[in-house]
Amino acid sequence: MREVWAVIRREYLQRVRSKWFIFSTIGIPVGMAALFIIPAYFGAQGSRAERDIVLLDRTGVLAPGLIDRLEDAGYRVTTEAWSEDAVADLSQRSSDGDLGGFIVLDERTLSNGEATYYGDDRPSSLRQFTIRQSVTQTALEQQLAELGVDVEALMQGGDLRVEVLSGDGSGMDDPQFMVAYIGSFFLYMVILLYSVAVMRSTLEEKTNRVVEVVISAMKPWHLMLGKILGVGAVSLTQMGVWIGSMVILFSAGLPAIIAARPELATLENVAEILPGMGLVALFLGYFVFGFFMYSGLYAAVGAMCSTDEEAQQAQIPVMMLLIVPIVMVMGVIQDPNSSVAAVASLFPLFSPLLMFARVAGGGVPAWQVGLSFVLMALAIVAIAWVAGRIYKVGILMAGKRPTLPELFRWLREA
Amino acid sequence: MNDSGYAVRLEGVTKRFGKHTAVSSLDLVIPRGVIYGLLGPNGSGKTTSIRMIMGILHPDEGTVSLFGSDPDTTRREHVGYLPEERGVYKKMKVLEYLMFMGEIRGVARSEGKRRSQHWLERLGLGAWGDKRVEDLSKGMQQKVQFIATVLHEPSLLILDEPFSGLDPINQDVLEEIVRDFHAKGTTILFSTHLMDQAERLCERVCLISKSRKVLDADLRELKASERKGVLVVEFEGDDGWLDGPEVSRIERNGSGVSLLLRDGADHQTILRRGVESGATIHRFDLVQPRLHDIFVRHAGADAAGDAGLPKEAATAGGAR
Repeated sequence: MREVWAVIRREYLQRVRSKWFIFSTIGIPVGMAALFIIPAYFGAQGSRAERDIVLLDRTGVLAPGLIDRLEDAGYRVTTEAWSEDAVADLSQRSSDGDLGGFIVLDERTLSNGEATYYGDDRPSSLRQFTIRQSVTQTALEQQLAELGVDVEALMQGGDLRVEVLSGDGSGMDDPQFMVAYIGSFFLYMVILLYSVAVMRSTLEEKTNRVVEVVISAMKPWHLMLGKILGVGAVSLTQMGVWIGSMVILFSAGLPAIIAARPELATLENVAEILPGMGLVALFLGYFVFGFFMYSGLYAAVGAMCSTDEEAQQAQIPVMMLLIVPIVMVMGVIQDPNSSVAAVASLFPLFSPLLMFARVAGGGVPAWQVGLSFVLMALAIVAIAWVAGRIYKVGILMAGKRPTLPELFRWLREA
Repeated sequence: MNDSGYAVRLEGVTKRFGKHTAVSSLDLVIPRGVIYGLLGPNGSGKTTSIRMIMGILHPDEGTVSLFGSDPDTTRREHVGYLPEERGVYKKMKVLEYLMFMGEIRGVARSEGKRRSQHWLERLGLGAWGDKRVEDLSKGMQQKVQFIATVLHEPSLLILDEPFSGLDPINQDVLEEIVRDFHAKGTTILFSTHLMDQAERLCERVCLISKSRKVLDADLRELKASERKGVLVVEFEGDDGWLDGPEVSRIERNGSGVSLLLRDGADHQTILRRGVESGATIHRFDLVQPRLHDIFVRHAGADAAGDAGLPKEAATAGGAR
């Protein structure tokens, strides 16, 4: 077993020390964080006096509601009583840049939602939109309240109670849909990425001829196993860093950012779409099983080819096995409990993507999840048997790629 | 590893690639502790034979055994193999590459590191341990590969064309190391098409030509038995007198002619014929046969036999 360890260690260290690995491992979480934080930061429209707004309420009823709304949107709002002097003073402060601007509400605001915004610069359209929206909603709310309507419930869009009359109530809400779709797509990417890495590594040793020496010291099967485990360890390291940094970002980083900069409060919405830890664990489970299946197939492809060009061609059938489920994901998400979705997601080579999509969407019986893992385990054993034999013969083979009948002969002979 | 007297034994080993027979019913016994040369022209089946000994290829017929036991278990720890087509992990650092190569053969990493550093020093690569293999020149890479071959202190060293690609100075260094291993009792099998090298190093040689063994003998005995020797002649005048029943082959070179003599041939007869023909003879020298000459004689005869021609006619014809 020592030689298997040596191979694992070599694969692992060589990869983990590569610039590409360091760049992608650190770069992706940083990029993701930037993706959330930068728009929120700019959406918060600057930071300093920009965000200070003074409200001059001549209606006497709108101020409390409007203050709530504007503060939710990240503004710091103070009120002052209306007077000619106050307007002159505020205008001066706005021109000096001590103040983001001020809003005057009067009778017209109550009747038709008109209000006046005074500012040094023309406000951005987003700023205009936020303020106009807040003003009209507050006015509407005020008018409705006078009519005795349950404004709060109405303003929240009411409530549509769903009574499922048949079936088991499948179908997905929006955030679940996102998690299912993005998760499956991500699984597709990482399984492909690391399985191809196993193929490249096999091919490199073969074209390099270094394999002749290595194989004289160990069984081909051990070399293949070490290679797959080594690359697998690299992939888990990378995903561990990714997941870990996301957890830290959302559990510690984000509250800290929001505490320091209240105007970035909208960032909290991002956290709502995040999957739970259970789903993350399931993701890793499907990745590991999927990787073992596909890396075996890719190792065999690498072993039977002699050049990169050949390998590009030969990997297409294996790649199709990953592309079919990614094409099906959309349909499965829309109708996760159809019999097609159930059967396809139990086919081991499709399980990682499709079963994950169904589970992320919700409403999959636990026994199906369990069964998918059992079937994948059996598939891994079968693939190891086939791929191991192809690998054993192919790795020392020079010349042209074998035809299918030749491949079957390899299986028999090896 | 048991105490059988040989390191490698091949019995009736045949390997075909499609219709082409690369090695044809080869029997080979390599005694322990000798330097054994596997000689033959390019494409004669040397590398195929070595690959079968290493278990990289499996013979279609016949058996291979190492040290009298199952080759698969012996190979890993007791055999060092330098293949003809040199391959290294280019991206690895030299020292890590060597430690890895030792580790897969059961040398602990710390011990592997110590031995690697020792060898790197000895081969003048002491400063290169932290460099990537791809930064080294071809010749240096070859030395690194050689170190990887001997790191686990094998009792059988198999070197396929070890001297090709090395400059004369490094060829000498490598020869010296091979002799050192020999002195420690290591069995060494190497293949080469360079007869001079083989002549200097080998105790025993096997000549392969056209996938068949044509000669397998102790080098000293071989030279003694190939008494017929070679006649080097320099002269002026007509050359008709050179050919005769005593001569198996005539080679012309710059200043003169080398004649390969047949068994028991009397060179005096040739000299007499020359004098009678009126040629002016400047040099008439009976020299010890070189391995090269022995090889040419045997391989040539065998080749002629393969072509289906009468031996005499073929060699005489080939000499003109």
